Amino acid sequence: MKRSSILWTIFLALILVAAAGAPCWAADPIRIAIIGPMQFTQGEGHWNGATMAAEQINKGGGISVGGAKRLVELIKVDSNEFLSIPDATNAMELAISRHRADFLIGGFRTEAVLVMQDIAMDNKKIFLGCGAAHPELCDRVTKNYDRYKYWFRITPINSKFLIKVDFLLLNMVAQVMQKELGIPKIKVAIVAEKAAWADPLVAVANENLPKMGMDIVGVWRPSPVATDATAELSAIQRAGANIIFTSFSSSVGIPFAKQAGELKVPAPLVGINVEAQKDGFWAATGGQGNYGLTISTYGPVKITEHTLPFFNEYRQRFKEAPNYTAGTYDAIDVLKAAIEKTGTLEADKLIPALEQTDLKGPAGRLAFSKDHDVVWGPGYTTGLGTQWQDGKNVVVWPYQWENITYEGTVPYKLPSWVMEHYKKK
Amino acid sequence: MGLIWFQIKRVFTLFRSEVLVLPSRVAVLIFVAALVLLPLFSQDPYLLRILILTSVFAIFAASWDLLSGFTGQMNFGHALFFGVAAYTSGLINVHFKIPHFFTIPIGALAAVLTGLIIGIPCLRLRHTYLALTTLAFPLILMGVVFAIPDVTGGELGVSGLDRLSGSRLRDYYITTILMLLLSFTMWKITDSKTGIILHAIREDELACRTAGINTTRYKLMAFCLSGFFAGIAGGLYAHIMRTVGPSTLEVSMSFQVIIWSIFGGVASIYGPIAGVFILFPLAEVLRVVPEWRMLIFALLVLLTLLFMPEGIIPWIRDKIEKQCPRCKIRSVAIRKTCRVCTADLD
Amino acid sequence: MIQDIIINGLINGSIYALLAIGFSLIFGVARLVNIAHTAFYMACAYLIHVGFSYWGLSMPLAIVLSIGLTTIIGLICYRLFIKPIREYEAAVLIATIALGMVFQEVMLIAFKGHMMGVPPVATGFVIVGGVKVANQHLLVLGVAVLTLLATWFLLMKTRVGLAIRCTAQDSEIANLMGMNVDREIMIAVIVSVVLAGVAGAIVVPLRVIDPHMWLPPLIMMLAVVVLGGLGSVKGSFVASYILGFTEAAVAIGVPMGSFLKGSVALSIMIIVLLIRPEGLFGIAFEEER
Repeated sequence: MKRSSILWTIFLALILVAAAGAPCWAADPIRIAIIGPMQFTQGEGHWNGATMAAEQINKGGGISVGGAKRLVELIKVDSNEFLSIPDATNAMELAISRHRADFLIGGFRTEAVLVMQDIAMDNKKIFLGCGAAHPELCDRVTKNYDRYKYWFRITPINSKFLIKVDFLLLNMVAQVMQKELGIPKIKVAIVAEKAAWADPLVAVANENLPKMGMDIVGVWRPSPVATDATAELSAIQRAGANIIFTSFSSSVGIPFAKQAGELKVPAPLVGINVEAQKDGFWAATGGQGNYGLTISTYGPVKITEHTLPFFNEYRQRFKEAPNYTAGTYDAIDVLKAAIEKTGTLEADKLIPALEQTDLKGPAGRLAFSKDHDVVWGPGYTTGLGTQWQDGKNVVVWPYQWENITYEGTVPYKLPSWVMEHYKKK
Repeated sequence: MGLIWFQIKRVFTLFRSEVLVLPSRVAVLIFVAALVLLPLFSQDPYLLRILILTSVFAIFAASWDLLSGFTGQMNFGHALFFGVAAYTSGLINVHFKIPHFFTIPIGALAAVLTGLIIGIPCLRLRHTYLALTTLAFPLILMGVVFAIPDVTGGELGVSGLDRLSGSRLRDYYITTILMLLLSFTMWKITDSKTGIILHAIREDELACRTAGINTTRYKLMAFCLSGFFAGIAGGLYAHIMRTVGPSTLEVSMSFQVIIWSIFGGVASIYGPIAGVFILFPLAEVLRVVPEWRMLIFALLVLLTLLFMPEGIIPWIRDKIEKQCPRCKIRSVAIRKTCRVCTADLD
Repeated sequence: MIQDIIINGLINGSIYALLAIGFSLIFGVARLVNIAHTAFYMACAYLIHVGFSYWGLSMPLAIVLSIGLTTIIGLICYRLFIKPIREYEAAVLIATIALGMVFQEVMLIAFKGHMMGVPPVATGFVIVGGVKVANQHLLVLGVAVLTLLATWFLLMKTRVGLAIRCTAQDSEIANLMGMNVDREIMIAVIVSVVLAGVAGAIVVPLRVIDPHMWLPPLIMMLAVVVLGGLGSVKGSFVASYILGFTEAAVAIGVPMGSFLKGSVALSIMIIVLLIRPEGLFGIAFEEER
C-alpha cells in the first residue's frame, strides 16, 4: 500500500516535470490500462514492468504520434482474477468504458484471460497478453482473424515451446548425471500439477522419454494448490527415480521443493516451477529449494544489450527479480515502436505494424508469428533455464545450445546430497 | 366503456389502498420501475454489465433462500447447482450447437436432477451436518472436472459459448425481466400453501411430520425447486461470460451467496435480492481503494450482523412498518392504529 | 508401499487431528461453528514469521509469543463479534466466514500475496521402516498425541473439564445449577484457539504461508469433524486418521490421481454420513430441536 502510493507520487511528479518541460502540454496522454491481479506477485510484476517503461518513455518526452509528442498514462486496474472471474470481466469493462483506455496490457489466469479477451475484442481494443501461456488464446486468432486480431502475446512463450525447452533442460541434467555419476539409464519421475496446460506435457513426456533413453518410473499429478507433498515424495523415492521432472505453475511448487530438500531426496528437480523464478523462493523454502532448476524469462545474463540494464534496475527498484509478467515493459516498447511507425492510435491501422514487430527487448528479439504469438527459437526469444545455487538464482541454460551461450551463464550443478548419495553406492 | 372505466378505477383503488400505504411496497415498486427505466438515462456498458451480473446473482441468492432460508436446509454448496447448470448449458451449446433458449432450461433441469441426487442422501442430515456435507459436493465435482479435461476443459473450462443476445441492452432487459419474474415466482411459492409447509419444516420438522405432512417429499421438492432457479442463474451466467470454468464451483462462490443472503435477510426472498443489489455494486464502488476492498466488505458484513443479525432488510422494515398485534397485517410505522382492524399498534 | 501409506497417513492424520479437536471442542461446548478456526492457524503462522524474520526472535520464543498473541486476538474476536449474536445460528456461521475473510484481507494488505515460509523447529530427517520422515513431521505426530492427552485430561480429570462437559450437555441446566456458562465457553474458546495456534506453529514450517492458506485445511477439517461426529473430540481424532490414511493411500497408490485425494476423502465422508447421519461418534440429533 505504502510502496505503491510512493510510486504513484514519484510517477505523478515525473509526469508533471516532463509535462512542464515538454512543449506538448496540450496533447492528451496515451492511456494504457495495466490489468492484473494487483494484490499478488503476478500483478505487481505487471505494474512494475509497465511503470518502468512508461517513466523511461515520458523522460524522453513521450511517444511521437504523427509528429506530436504524447505522454503515456498508466491506469492500474485490479482484475482480482484469482478469486473471482466476474470481477476480472468487470475490471476489463471498467478499463475500456470508464477509464477509456487506448490499450490494454496484462492478464494472467487463462480462464479469466479468455473472457477478458472477448471483452477487448468486442470493443476492438488492442490487448497485449503478459502472463497466460495457453495456446488457445492465440489459436483463436487463427480461427477467427477478423475478430481476434487485436490480441498479441508478449510473454510467456507458448506452452508448446515451453515443452521444448523443458526437454532440453531435462536432457542437459540427464547428461550431467550420466557423465558425473555414471548412471547408465536415467529413471525419471514425472510430477505435473493437475492442470490443463500440463496435460500435453505429460503426454509428450510419456512418448519422448523412452526415445531419449530414459525410463519413466511414474507420473504424479498433485493438485496445483496442494500444500503437502510428503506422500508423493515417499512414493517417488520408493520408485527409485534419478530425476524429478516437475511442471508447477502454482503454489504447490514451494512445498514440493521445500519438502524434497528437507528429506534430501536423491533426485534433482528439473522442469517448470514458476515459484522458483521469484526471488522470494529462497526465503519461502528456507533455503531447501537449493539446486532447483526451472524455465524462466528474465535472468542476470546478456540476452540482448537491454537485458542487464533492465534486470538490474528492476531488481534495485523493486527489490525483486522480474518474472514474466513484467513483460509489460516489452509490451509498452512494442506499442511505442508501432505507434511511432504508423503515427496513429487507431487499432486497425496499428495491427499491421505490430505484426511486423522486430525489436530487441530484455527477453530477447521479439517478433510475432502469424497467430500473434511471440516467436520462439534460436535468435529470437529462447527462454532461460535458471537454477538456485546457494542463495543465488543463476542462468544455466542456454549453455552451448545451438551455439548460444548468453554472457553470464554458468554450468549446471548437481545437488550435493545427490552426489553423496550416488558416490556412496 | 363504463366497465373499462370501472376496472381501471378498481385497479387504481387497489393500488392506492394496498401498495401506496406501505413503504416497503412502494420501495419495491420504485425498484422495479428504476430497473426497467434505467437504460433511458444511461446506457454505459460498464454500468449495464454490473447490473446484468447483479440480476443473475440475485436469482442465485433468492434460490438459496428458498432452500436454506425458507426450508431451513442449510446449503453450503449452492455453487453446485450453479456450476452444474453452467457446465451443462456450456457443453451442449458448444458441442451440439443448441441455441441458448434451450440450453439454459436444460441446464436448469440438470440442476434439478442434481438437486434430487444430492437431496436424497441429504434428507437424513440436519443442521450443521447438512451444511458441512453440502459444502463437499461442489468440491468433489471440481475433482471430477479436473479428472476429465477432455470433456470439461480442466481449469480452462468451456469457452466460445453463444452470446445471450447481440447487444448489451437486450442482455440487460433479458436478465432483469427474468430476475423480476423468477423472483416473483419464488415469492409466490413461499407465499402459497407449499410455502407454509416449507416454513413449518424449518421451524419444527418433527411437529410437521406429526401433523401428517410428508416432510421428505417437501424437502426434496425444495431441493429441486432451488436447484431449478439456481440452474437458470448458472445458465445465464454461462452465456453472459461465454466461458464456464471451475470458478463456478469454488467455495468462494458458495460462501458469496450465503453472505449476500444473510446480509439482506433470509426467509424473505426479497432480502437476498436486496443483499445482492447492495453488495455486488458496492464491491465495484470500492474499486477506488482496491487493496482495502475486500476488507471493507468483510467488516461491513460483520458489523451488519452485529447490529442487525436478522439482516438489513428486515431491520429496515421493522423500523418503517409495524405489524398489527391482532390481525397480523402491516402498517406504516407512523400510524397509531392498524390500517385494517384499527387495533392499537405497539 | 504399505509402510509409506502408514507413515504418511499418520502424519496427515495428526495434522488434521490438531485442527479438528479444537474446532470440535468449541462446537461441543457452545454450539458454535467456527469457520474462522483455521484463520487463527494462519494468524499464528504469520505472527511467527513476523517474530522470526522481522524482529529476529529465536524460533521457540517466536512460537510461544505468537500462540499467546493469537489467543488474545481470538478472545477479542469472540467477545466483539461472536458473543453478541450467539443466539442466531446462521448469523454466527456468516460472522465467522466474514471473520476469516477479514484475517485473509489483513494479511493480504500487510504482506501482499507473497508466499513465504518459516524454518522448521526440527531440521533433518530420520528413516523409519525404510521411509524418510522429516523430524518436523515426527514433532507433529508427537504434539498431536500430547495435545489429545492433555485435552482428555482437561476434560475428564479437572473441575473445569467437568464444567465444560456439563455446559456441552445442556447449557441452560448448567446455568441453573449455578455454573458460569459464559466462563466455560470462554475457556473452551481459549483452548480451541491455542490448539489452532499450536497447529499453525508446527505444521506450517513445512508448508507455505500465504493469505489463502486457511482455506484448504478448513475444508478437510470440516470433513473430519463431520465424519467423526460434531462435538465429539474422540470422533474427530478417529476421523482425522481415517481421512489422513485415505489421502496417503490415494497419493501413493494412484499417482495419476493424486490431485483427487481431497475429493476421495470427501466422498468417504459422504458415504459414512449416508450410513450414519450423525457421524461416527456423534450424538443423534433426531429429537433435539
